[in-house]
Amino acid sequence: MNTAPTTEPVLSAGDARKITIAQVLVYELRVRDAMSHPPFTALPSDSLRTIQKLMKQHKISGVPIQLGSKLLGIVTIEDIITALDKGHIDDLAEKRMARGVITIRDHFSLVRAVAEFERHGFGRFPVVDSADRLVGVLTRGDITNCLMHQLEKRAEEAIAFEAASLAGRASDELAQRIVIRAQVRTGDYDSAGKVSQRLRQILRERGIDPDVRRRAAIVVYEAETNIIIHSLGGEITVAIDPDKVVVDAVDTGPGIEDVNQAMQEGWSTAGRLPRELGFGAGMGLPNMKKCSDVFEIKSSNGQKTFVHSEIFLRKVTGAS
Amino acid sequence: MKLEANAKLPDVLLTIQATLITNTVDATVHGCYISDLLSDVLAHAQPGMLWATVQVHRNVVSVAATKDIPAVLFTCGRKPDASVIVEAEEEGIALLATPLTTYEAAGKLWQAGIHE
Repeated sequence: MNTAPTTEPVLSAGDARKITIAQVLVYELRVRDAMSHPPFTALPSDSLRTIQKLMKQHKISGVPIQLGSKLLGIVTIEDIITALDKGHIDDLAEKRMARGVITIRDHFSLVRAVAEFERHGFGRFPVVDSADRLVGVLTRGDITNCLMHQLEKRAEEAIAFEAASLAGRASDELAQRIVIRAQVRTGDYDSAGKVSQRLRQILRERGIDPDVRRRAAIVVYEAETNIIIHSLGGEITVAIDPDKVVVDAVDTGPGIEDVNQAMQEGWSTAGRLPRELGFGAGMGLPNMKKCSDVFEIKSSNGQKTFVHSEIFLRKVTGAS
Repeated sequence: MKLEANAKLPDVLLTIQATLITNTVDATVHGCYISDLLSDVLAHAQPGMLWATVQVHRNVVSVAATKDIPAVLFTCGRKPDASVIVEAEEEGIALLATPLTTYEAAGKLWQAGIHE
């Protein structure tokens, strides 16, 4: 099949497709989706006995030792058992805790977390965010629970969909309106375009005119990248009706100082990293407006930014 | 070598000394757009064009897919990660790589008759 010159071994897309839903989930889900949070922590000045009570009370097997926002170490159930055995259960945590704790980041995929468990052989990892703040604790059990929970959710969705299909006409209406709601995280450049991709698929399946489909996809793509580059994080809701796509993007700040200026082509406040990746052309908002049939933006300094866009749909001529 | 208005990928590869890095079977392009700014491509490139850029991040695939761009040319010897290649294959987008600069590649395409 591949007659064109190729210089490098290439991973075939076909191989990637033959994977189970659980395998997909471990790539999609992040550590923050599975971890226990907020974490139960103790002070270096707490005794092992206090920590043992904490473990019993919350049914946990490891307690990070923290002073202020600094992670100093961890006391695990194994440490407690040893302490009981050797009779130093009343020692302070700082004397007995394991120091130099290896942590994992909350944005790691679960597949990476599983690899870390295998590499280090620990029973749990303290989870830190990108600013090195302790945000939770992850055990292998947390990963299993999270996967089971997600599988159950998918199964329920599938059952609900089937039930609705059996319900005849009602199913038509259900299938006609699809709502995609997605959290968008600041700085998560790797996820840019995920929502837009799903929208494109749905519109293609529905036989929507390619021009209109592209406009809708551009609006959503720019909304996603705007939140990633400029905001503190936010949410995008895309409601796909038979006659229109309605996009609502909202972030948690910090707001746009001068909306009129932001609507001008070429105006950008993007930093160095996004610019190096090809973002920050200063055309995001103008592009969104140009591609929308209805466009509204509401923002001011220090406030949330709301963007509302509607794209009216038409099918390819001749398609049913 | 002269290229047709709907240029076939193997002919394009020969014209600009490029290699194909996806397992694309066949594709044609008409016209070419050059930009390293994603929003600019979303705004101004036409569906069906070849897009030449030095960006090799996965967002290039997202933008190309959004805009129905069938083939992306990475210039200046740049190569994307394997994950980007997989994603492009899933989207049915051909990825090409050439050691030429964007300017040189554009010059050769123009010379070969791609004037859009």
